[in-house]
Amino acid sequence: MSQNLRDADRRSIVVDYHLSAPPPKVWRALTEPKLLASWLMPNDIKPKVGHQFTFKTAPAPGFDGIVHCKIIEVQPVSRLVYSWRGGPIDTMVVWTLEPTTSGGTHLKLEQSGFGPEHGMTYDILSRGWREKAAGSLERILNLP
Amino acid sequence: MQSLRRTSAELEGLLKALADPTRRAVFERLIAREESVATLTAASRVSQSAVSQHIAVLAKAGLLKGRQIGRSTLYRANPRALEPLIDWVERQNRFWQAALRRLDETLKETKE
Repeated sequence: MSQNLRDADRRSIVVDYHLSAPPPKVWRALTEPKLLASWLMPNDIKPKVGHQFTFKTAPAPGFDGIVHCKIIEVQPVSRLVYSWRGGPIDTMVVWTLEPTTSGGTHLKLEQSGFGPEHGMTYDILSRGWREKAAGSLERILNLP
Repeated sequence: MQSLRRTSAELEGLLKALADPTRRAVFERLIAREESVATLTAASRVSQSAVSQHIAVLAKAGLLKGRQIGRSTLYRANPRALEPLIDWVERQNRFWQAALRRLDETLKETKE
């Protein structure tokens, strides 16, 4: 098992994970409400395109504790896509499962599309961009 | 869920301010240089009043700072205002990493 974050992908959060369980077992953990709840949050997911469901957690200021989701794409045992909206954050969650040679699963999670509307460029938050911004700001501040 | 707990009016304001591509372009331009509304207008395809409105939205979200030079105001970007968004992304990253560790544990415990 290993994990890493890809800085190279600047338009989304990407988390890779190598699991020793085979894809069908991982798929069940992603799509069966009870199994999913055991590691994520209570939910009423169904792997059916168009199905609307929620994840429920403790409310907090500015967030009612409910994540609203809708299934966008289902490719059994390989790909699951749903929208993910909690508070003002409106995103897309993409799960990709690939079998590994050792009989396990390479699971990739990607969360993208940040913003209350479409098109929030994630580049704006990338590390490279931030460094560039910080550098420019320094130059501005250092002007005589 | 810790990662969403700090969603606030502040975060929403930032997201809305940056959701518009023209505003985003203005913001990015002002990272590299300090400019007046007139200069920004000359460099863009929109009217001066549109630029002024974009400036106002960005400034309200804290993304721009202005300083008065004679009769005109020069604006520059304030990238530090992005911190709540950057924090959110980092918290979301941690949230998913923790969730996937739990998934790994769950799968190891359950027999097929």
